[in-house]
Amino acid sequence: MAYDIVVPRLGWSMDEGTFAEWLKQDGDQVNAGDMLFILEGEKAAQEIESFDSGILRIPPQGPQPGDTVAVGQLLGYLVEEGEEPPFENISVGKATTKSSSDQESKPPQKDSNVSAGPAIRRLARDLNVDLTALQGTGPAGRITQEDVRAASKAPANLPATATPMGGKRSTSSPRARRIARELGLDPTTVTGTGRGGRVRERDIRAAAAQAGKTTAPATSSLASLSGKTIPITPIRRTIAERMLAGIHQAAPVTLTTKVNATNLVNLRVQFKAADLGSQTPSFTDLIVKLSAVALTEHPLLSAQWTENGIVVPERINVAFAVDTAAGLLAPVIEDVGAKTIRQIATDAQALIEAANASTLTAEQMRNGCFTVSNLGGFGVDAFTPIINLPQAAILGVGRIAKEPVVVDNQIVIQEVMALSLTFDHRIVDGAPAARFLDQLRSCIEQPSPWLMG
Amino acid sequence: MATVEVNKHLTKDTALSVFRTMQIIRQCEEQLAKSHQRGLVHGACHTYVGEEAIASSIFAHLRPEDVVFSTHRGHGHALAKGLHPRELIAELYGRKTGCSQGRGGSMHLFKPEIGMMGTSGIVGPCILHACGGGYTFKIQKKDNVAVACFGDGAVNNGAFHEGMNMAAIWNLPVILVCENNQFATEVAFSYSSGIPDVGRRAENYGIPGFEVDGNDVHEIFRVGGEAVERARGGGGPTLIECKTYRTRAHAEGMGDFTYRTREDVEEWKTQCPLKRFRAAAISDDLVTAAELDEIAAEVKALIAESHEFAEASEYPDGATAAKHVYFEGPHDPPPPAPPQGERQTTFVAGTLEALDHEMGNNPDIFVMGEGIGARGGNFTTTLGLYEKYGAERLCDTPICERGFVGLGCGAAMSGTRPLIDFMFIDFINDSFGEMINQIAKMQYMSSGRLKMPILLRGCIGIGHSAATHHSGSYHSVYAHIPGLRVVTPATPYDAKGLFTHALRCQDPVLFLEHRELMSIKGPVPAEPYEIPFGQAAIAREGNDVTVVALSLMLHHALDAAEKLANRGISVEVIDPRTVSPLDTDTILQSVGKTGRLLVVDEAFTPCSVASEIAARVADAGFDDLDAPIKTLNGVFTPTPYAPTLEKEIVPNPETVQQAIEDLLAE
Repeated sequence: MAYDIVVPRLGWSMDEGTFAEWLKQDGDQVNAGDMLFILEGEKAAQEIESFDSGILRIPPQGPQPGDTVAVGQLLGYLVEEGEEPPFENISVGKATTKSSSDQESKPPQKDSNVSAGPAIRRLARDLNVDLTALQGTGPAGRITQEDVRAASKAPANLPATATPMGGKRSTSSPRARRIARELGLDPTTVTGTGRGGRVRERDIRAAAAQAGKTTAPATSSLASLSGKTIPITPIRRTIAERMLAGIHQAAPVTLTTKVNATNLVNLRVQFKAADLGSQTPSFTDLIVKLSAVALTEHPLLSAQWTENGIVVPERINVAFAVDTAAGLLAPVIEDVGAKTIRQIATDAQALIEAANASTLTAEQMRNGCFTVSNLGGFGVDAFTPIINLPQAAILGVGRIAKEPVVVDNQIVIQEVMALSLTFDHRIVDGAPAARFLDQLRSCIEQPSPWLMG
Repeated sequence: MATVEVNKHLTKDTALSVFRTMQIIRQCEEQLAKSHQRGLVHGACHTYVGEEAIASSIFAHLRPEDVVFSTHRGHGHALAKGLHPRELIAELYGRKTGCSQGRGGSMHLFKPEIGMMGTSGIVGPCILHACGGGYTFKIQKKDNVAVACFGDGAVNNGAFHEGMNMAAIWNLPVILVCENNQFATEVAFSYSSGIPDVGRRAENYGIPGFEVDGNDVHEIFRVGGEAVERARGGGGPTLIECKTYRTRAHAEGMGDFTYRTREDVEEWKTQCPLKRFRAAAISDDLVTAAELDEIAAEVKALIAESHEFAEASEYPDGATAAKHVYFEGPHDPPPPAPPQGERQTTFVAGTLEALDHEMGNNPDIFVMGEGIGARGGNFTTTLGLYEKYGAERLCDTPICERGFVGLGCGAAMSGTRPLIDFMFIDFINDSFGEMINQIAKMQYMSSGRLKMPILLRGCIGIGHSAATHHSGSYHSVYAHIPGLRVVTPATPYDAKGLFTHALRCQDPVLFLEHRELMSIKGPVPAEPYEIPFGQAAIAREGNDVTVVALSLMLHHALDAAEKLANRGISVEVIDPRTVSPLDTDTILQSVGKTGRLLVVDEAFTPCSVASEIAARVADAGFDDLDAPIKTLNGVFTPTPYAPTLEKEIVPNPETVQQAIEDLLAE
């Protein structure tokens, strides 16, 4: 049996050394306890003792005096009389295991050379910005928060640690930011009363109270009503945040108008008479379809505000409000412009069932670009719906009722319906919004041509 | 004095047995040296080759319940005490089946089950630990002996002096074996000692000392036997110097000829204790060559089998790396502490009640310290106990903090429960190494098989111009060390409950009492009760700001909170009570309510408990923070003497109040 001769570790931290020389010749008999070769470690050259006995076989391709060798590297064999050493296992010359130069040549970790602080790196991760692609504008070329935000495709309404305001940096405490998220407020729009203008929890709560939209005082130190406390469910909290955001983060304006819905009612009567089952469109379905028609003509009402510009969607996906036991949900019917009214009716039916069964997926509530909220069934005439951000507008649909209407100086009875359009004045001005509403009115009053597709 | 007969001359059976032990040590060491060269030994490997006669001959007189404390060159001691070579080799290979289950390696060998109480990478402490083992046997009235084995490097260390003196004055059943192999690593004893011999130093301490040929089995066996007989019979300690030589390098892989010559090593190889014993025993007709050859062959097979066993053994699971830092055995949680009640007593009287009660119930408790005997303690911490429990359990010490803390470590390892009453923490800093290298690590290194029920109590804190060597607050330093419990009570009620818990728990505890609190009064129930560690107290409830305050600072924080309440500011005050373990949850819950945190501690701020609390809350409580976390600490300076200087460096109720107001303005 052949014994391996390997490079031992001298001292605790040695990884490699220098092979100095063999103290025996190839073919010599070696006895346990004999000194076999000299190895140079960090401190000094040492004679290395053999713990085994046998005939030394030194491979011709093995390490030569002066070669660097790694701890554990095979140097040769002690074999028995007549035994052939497995020289093919021995590598040529230098260390084959890891060496310090290998470690140095490892590629540096991604973007570790970029000059940016931890807060900036975090922001970049959150906004999915590649720091290595940025040119820093800060001192010594450091990447600043502004650099990252400028490169980001994300909307600006993400919670920010600091944003420029009037040339001064205003900061908010972590707790203030958390409360602001919970209440749907943008902390950068709030004036801070802490040291250096820092926005504190109390500032956020004051701002929310000012807006008249806070749900309940959250700290036990404030006076509270005696009575039963209903726990806030995750759905409730989401609704609260989105509703507040629709008011605080947009510039909402509501327009109302009345439309003659006589033809729409007739059409609905005909659909019902045809007994189409789940394909029977509701008034909401009809208005969803007609809204898509008007949106195609007035695309800004379906657009979204982002830091990089106003994004106009390629397809018209329309959300509609569903009242469920758990709260308000707004599933989305995709690509309404391309769908027949029967398809819309089928889709809507399935979404309503899913909403009531609490099985709506996040996917089914995503990517809407306009919302229809119909409170007509509850006897409401008109109301001020709240924008479902990041959408630009929401249509409130009131009840359809017979009213006396003056037509050609005659009082006639018509089916009349009120429409309430809330739009984001940041994106679109009053006149274009009014033109959209007027077009929608005319589509509803003469619906048939628009429902043929 | 009882007489215990010990056979001082080798019989045939003992001769064969000693030879077998030497063979096991030699062959095991040669296997380990070879394995080190092949990379199977991951760290250091200090062999005992050349010194085998010493442990083999002296330990031949020991019983399993006798205890051995050893040093970094301890393979031979462990094997001679009865450790199976499998467990030694597996330990050096880093395997789960090793005697320390992979937590020790060459220098930390533990097998308390057979009285192998541990080897140490620090030179000297084993002498103190053996004194502790001896003290345990004195307290428990057993005729066991404790042995320390150490090299010539240890005898110029303070532990040798302190241990020799303590062994002498308390007449401990201790055998101190100096294996003088002439080099402390690579420094020659002829250079580092004023006289060339060690044994004769014993005379200065009033104990018997011997200088023997460390490679002569017969001689060592005889002297060792006499020492064991003396110790068992109540005759006290013995120092035995065995002059010997290690014929391999200090550690495997190290060069050998920069500090000694090849000629010297070759000369000493001719003095090989195995060869000498063989020649002498055969010529004396004690044994035959065939009998010795048979033993050598049998041991060869044993070592080969042990190597195979070790190499085939599993490595320990990485997930268990932090297991056994503290006692993990079963223990019932104590019943809830009673309400504070009406009865008033002082802080120190509360702890004295607890100590008296526990000493009455547990005969293994003993107290050591300066002036804690008849005097009753510098702060009346043991008043009246000396008369009740006697001098052995209320043991006045020389001024040798390192010595008696190290002794306490050895005592706790071997079955008693020492209470070290150190008066001022500044004094106990002299034993820093004993606390952090030994006491804190014993449970871990022994993979939970040793317990370390030692309580160290004394004063911290600034006040009354005590100046800088009687006023330190080092709880942050000790809280940094895994394996220690650090307790900082602030009220008489907590002091009694925490002290009782400390006297019942299995971990080492530093019980730190602010000097300015020792005489304060407060409600304390008369009956015994425990307050477990790691449970903060909410000392005052509030909503606007959380103040975490330790020890004396708790009282300043409560004063400030009371004043601020008059102005409509609601302050919640939390006392962690123990800084290790630290109850972060209670603090986080409070910050979740208030959004603001001030930590007040008299100790300096860099790397402190205050900065640790701030860091944990900044992490886990980030979203709850409505303002930066603030800390109010003592000034980063030694304590000055003059009252005008002293008052400047510690927080007081006014500065605490100001800090709270500043925080509210953030």
